[in-house]
Amino acid sequence: MPAPLVDTLRGIVGAPHVLTGADGAPYIVDGRTPDAVVLPGTKEEVAAVLGAAAESSVPVLAWGGGTSMSVGAPPPRLGVVLVLRRLNKLLEHEPGDLTATAEAGITMAALQGELGKRGQWLSLDPAQAEKATLGGVLSSNAAGPRRHLYGTCRDQLIGLTVITAAGATVKGGGKVVKNVAGYDLPKLFVGAFGTLGVIVEATVKLRPLPDQDRLVIARFGSLKEAGVAARTLMASDLLPSAIDLLDGEALHALGHGDSQGAALLMGVDGIPEQVDWQCAEVERFLRPQGLAEVRVLDGAERDGAWRARSGLGHGAVPDTAAVMRWTVLPAQVAEVMEQGAAVAQRAGLHAALAAHAGVGVVEAVLAAGGRTNAAALAGVLAEWRALVRAAGGQALIESAPLAAKEQVPVWDDPGPSLRVMQRIKSQLDPNGLLNPGRFVGGI
Amino acid sequence: MAHETLTARPAAPLTLHGHDVEGVHRCVHCGLCLPYCPTFSLLGTEMDSPRGRIFLVKSLAEGRIALGDATVSHLDLCLGCRACETVCPSGVPYGQLIEAARAEVERQRPGGPLRRLFRWMNFALLLPHPKLLGLAAAGLRFYQASGLQRLARATGLLKLLPAPLADWEPLLPTLPPPAERMPLPELTHAEGERRARVGMLTGCIQQVAFGSQNRATTRVLAKNGCEVVAPRAQTCCGALHAHAGEHDLAVGLAKRTIEAFEAAKVGVVIVNTSGCGAHMKAYGTLLSGDPAWRERAAAFASTVRDLAEFLATEPLRGPLGPVNRTVTYHDPCHIVHGQKISRQPRALLAQIPGLKLVPLREADWCCGSAGTYNLTQPEMAHRLQERKVGHIRETGAEAVVTANPGCIIQIAQGLEAVGAKVKVLHIAEVLDEAYRNAK
Amino acid sequence: MAGELDPARKTTLRRELEGLLGKGAVLSEPDELLVYESDGLTLFRALADFVVFPTSASEVSAVVKLANRESLPFVARGAGTGLSGGCLPAEGGVVISLMRMNRVLEVDYDNQIAVVEPGLVNLHLSWAVGPKGFYYAPDPSSQQACTVGGNIANNSGGPHTLKYGVTVNHVLGLEVVLPDGEIMWLGGRTRESQGYDMAGLFVGSEGTFGIATKIIVRILKQPQAVKTVLAVFDRIEQASEAVSAVIARGLIPAAMEMIDQTTIVAVEDAFGCGFPRDAAAALLIELDGLQHGMEAQAERVMAACRDCGAREVRAARDEAERQLLWKGRKSAFGAYGRISPAYMVMDGVIPRTRLPQVLTRVNEIAAAHGLRVGNVFHAGDGNLHPNILYDPRIPGEEARVVAAGGEILKVCAEVGGSISGEHGIGLEKMDYMPLIFSEADLAFMRQLYQAFNPRGLCNPGKIFPSRKACGEGGIAYRPHPLEEKGLAQRF
Repeated sequence: MPAPLVDTLRGIVGAPHVLTGADGAPYIVDGRTPDAVVLPGTKEEVAAVLGAAAESSVPVLAWGGGTSMSVGAPPPRLGVVLVLRRLNKLLEHEPGDLTATAEAGITMAALQGELGKRGQWLSLDPAQAEKATLGGVLSSNAAGPRRHLYGTCRDQLIGLTVITAAGATVKGGGKVVKNVAGYDLPKLFVGAFGTLGVIVEATVKLRPLPDQDRLVIARFGSLKEAGVAARTLMASDLLPSAIDLLDGEALHALGHGDSQGAALLMGVDGIPEQVDWQCAEVERFLRPQGLAEVRVLDGAERDGAWRARSGLGHGAVPDTAAVMRWTVLPAQVAEVMEQGAAVAQRAGLHAALAAHAGVGVVEAVLAAGGRTNAAALAGVLAEWRALVRAAGGQALIESAPLAAKEQVPVWDDPGPSLRVMQRIKSQLDPNGLLNPGRFVGGI
Repeated sequence: MAHETLTARPAAPLTLHGHDVEGVHRCVHCGLCLPYCPTFSLLGTEMDSPRGRIFLVKSLAEGRIALGDATVSHLDLCLGCRACETVCPSGVPYGQLIEAARAEVERQRPGGPLRRLFRWMNFALLLPHPKLLGLAAAGLRFYQASGLQRLARATGLLKLLPAPLADWEPLLPTLPPPAERMPLPELTHAEGERRARVGMLTGCIQQVAFGSQNRATTRVLAKNGCEVVAPRAQTCCGALHAHAGEHDLAVGLAKRTIEAFEAAKVGVVIVNTSGCGAHMKAYGTLLSGDPAWRERAAAFASTVRDLAEFLATEPLRGPLGPVNRTVTYHDPCHIVHGQKISRQPRALLAQIPGLKLVPLREADWCCGSAGTYNLTQPEMAHRLQERKVGHIRETGAEAVVTANPGCIIQIAQGLEAVGAKVKVLHIAEVLDEAYRNAK
Repeated sequence: MAGELDPARKTTLRRELEGLLGKGAVLSEPDELLVYESDGLTLFRALADFVVFPTSASEVSAVVKLANRESLPFVARGAGTGLSGGCLPAEGGVVISLMRMNRVLEVDYDNQIAVVEPGLVNLHLSWAVGPKGFYYAPDPSSQQACTVGGNIANNSGGPHTLKYGVTVNHVLGLEVVLPDGEIMWLGGRTRESQGYDMAGLFVGSEGTFGIATKIIVRILKQPQAVKTVLAVFDRIEQASEAVSAVIARGLIPAAMEMIDQTTIVAVEDAFGCGFPRDAAAALLIELDGLQHGMEAQAERVMAACRDCGAREVRAARDEAERQLLWKGRKSAFGAYGRISPAYMVMDGVIPRTRLPQVLTRVNEIAAAHGLRVGNVFHAGDGNLHPNILYDPRIPGEEARVVAAGGEILKVCAEVGGSISGEHGIGLEKMDYMPLIFSEADLAFMRQLYQAFNPRGLCNPGKIFPSRKACGEGGIAYRPHPLEEKGLAQRF
């Protein structure tokens, strides 16, 4: 990295906000240390940083809370890590319009805290809310159990301000919940992992906080039974906010007892009359499906249980070696989970699996008891991918040791659509400076 | 430049060779009519949609296009079912516009001598003259009853006929014996307390082919306290003429019809055929260009009632016996769209004990009969007929009830062609059966 | 441009197209092309060279490849109910009608997915899955006629977007024919796809990124119960506050529709639905969801309306009453048509809380141009439809309507809204894009255009303002048609 660039960067953001050498250690990705870590304080500074990096042809990796940094192929080179943490303000909140605009570096927890003061929330519940930032959540399309009823980033985002690879400030969407003027920039940036531009501000749709919110934990004797119960629940008139399916290992890892059986974690929210009724109705509904035990949690207990659940892929399982995210059809979830667990077992490894059963997204945590045998690990990951692909789904390695990532591709083969993605990339980042080499198809 | 904007229109109302088509300006081009138009639903081409046809009429009237083959074919494909009018939010008088268009097509393209002869025979000779129609019917009856028809059909002799005639032959209704073709008595007394003195249109084809339905109608009206007057002086109401573009003949027949019923001094004129009822209710518009007749026609038109419309104003007089059948109801276009009547026939059927009424999918879709459409556009008529027959069979009903001879002929022929044993009944016949079963 | 093809070439091409699609699937006679010169907005007309009716993705692809070979522009068309001129063949070429690709291909009730062809009428999809208790949520007011493919192009909404979102929130995947003729899948059946959300980007691209030939959508279970409340107010501010008050009580109704006094009077004149003629606004609020607790929710809504000073609050007791309450709102268009020879539907979006201020401005603008305006407002999402009533036979009236429309859009932009909530930019609003987008914003969008449509043959002349620099971004300069006619000015 050319020294003049470091000086320029210091000039833009101020010397205390540029880290080099060992100071950049917290920002290592897949063993690569960044050339420099920059922490701008305003979107103008972000633009200037990107402009400077572009001039020197240095790649830039945008960094929010770092909670999804493991997702991606190992970077060929880590140039500038651009940390958005200091852009952390809630800029506007219009409760009457149910919209809010915030800087990208605000953590989800801080954002929800602010919104909660006026009785509203952004209906996204990704993991690690204390660390994950709004921009990062959008860039990685992170979601949580309540995506079942409330949707994902695509459904909440209405406006975006981004800095392009060349350092230009571009806005897309707007501040109103319904808007079809021009192309849907916001959609393009969701899940783009910072490869098309750096998000600096986002406008989102909000909801009123529900009067009540409970968690119903229903235990079953087997994954199969729980899976059938989930499907019948989906087909019913009931409207849970979440239907998560956990296998025995996952239950055990989250402290819900031994690793036998399986459980459904259901969110029930709304006005008191409906919450009371639904909780009772869920129990009545599940009883003939092999329901072994049911608990209803509220308040702090509920929050704790959900927080633990979202921590499954972030170290809750002892000796976590790798985490994969599978997307299949809801009806296939239980079966694919069973098959996945069997594959791990055959390889002498442990797997804990949990799924957002209503939308078909499975989190598969691979644990290696004791030694980490890279080959065995890679073997399971590859077999998992094959199993999911055979079911018509998609498999993504969210985290894995570098050695495994070098053997098993992080992303699926995108097929012909890669050509269009490449054309988009080459238009918006012709010099390939934004998080290069880590995305789908090597973009 | 490829773009243009609309220029300001002249102040005078828009006409198509004398026919008022100002109604085209009501169309705001919203397109809501498209999926309700049977021809658009089957063909997918804008010119075969109401919006497209309105645009063609407008373009013709404005002199933007001449009447070419393509335009004529798209106008000809219109069923005239007016389903579009029912859903149009802007109240475009489509029926009036398409009739104006048809008249213009006829005026510009009367066709070759054979066609003109055929049309003259039908519209000028047979339909308006009951006695001549009766003679023709007798001939047809002979053709059918003597076994000639069976022979012709069996030996394939029909294939020797020129194309349109061969297609039409199967549509010939089976005529009843002469006794059933006798004209209705001029006066039928009411049973029980007299509620009203009503006139009844006996119709042209209706009287000849379905005289039994007319008699059933009379009986049902009588049972409900009506004194029924069927003036001998009446004639074809002219609906078929107007739909086929024979404007002048239609006007003449309208006047004769009005005169016949005025002379009968009735409060209400009952019509048991859909096209006639709709057309007669629009006599005011038809004759609006004639100052001497304008108000007279409008006054007459306001006394016209569809049979079901009339009977449903009060509960049916009992006793009604049971008719233990599952039936479904097909809405003739000119009753449901032309007159906005769909609740009443079903309300009447609901009063018959033992009768089970099941809903018919696309009940208000044209069956393809559309006046003489099944003669002039056999292919489209056939596709619609098949669709209708398919839906009828889906219901599993033993009978389909409707209220128009054209529909009855078309649907019956379609059911027969697929070997379905579903009866086709006029609503008057079902009510009549209920009354007979009460004894 | 249409008419630039010499007759001999046109005849050859016609024969080639017929060879690809069949004889009855190609139109090229001027008399038959005439009806395709407009969509639902008759202000603009443009004649194509051909209109074709493919029945499969491979036929669409073949036509697009032929167009590429001949450098002919092309545009897809559904039912032609659009209100921004989006499917007009602005520069001649080929109109590709999707009306003969109108089937429901597959429904997977277990996974709540349907796969349909683009020419399928929106409402027909809900009818198809209705018997099993499902429906397709995006329900634009024209849903009886508009097609799913058209909804994809415009990212259509409808009254229920507050609770259920717009079209893109229900699309999982698309098979598209790209502007060069290649057939490609964007997204798929599952809820997530790796890589860029290209299906999401395609929705709302107004036919400039290609032609969708198969559409995979989510279908939802029909709600257990539906409850409708009608509230009548003496002042617009009260109605607007009521909307916020309902939300403040923790409820997201399925729909909230508002009509203003001009509309109420029109509806009463035309149909007599029982609204008090001197009311300033009527608010229709619809709740849906679980049966249990529905009454409690309705009570909250009514209380909120009363607290904001509603003169009258009514809740429907059964389906028949519900239809009656909705009749007034649904008859608005028809009512305008009966009291005015013509009307132009505008489509602006504003933050809901700014409605009273914007409505005042809208009425002022209309009055200043000597016109009447009736407003229908999707109160749930801020989508405002001013309907400017006018008589096209009066010289100069049309120009004033266009001018008034432009000023209304400016107001929407000024209060932080947008210039299109549902109808799209198309031809109608392209020159207003600079009201809400900077040069940098537009340049970014042009780059996306380049990624998909580098030759600019796929629905050219839409969305982007006419530019003075020829050839830049593949979109040539062309004065806006209204400018040419002296009906509009560039600002």
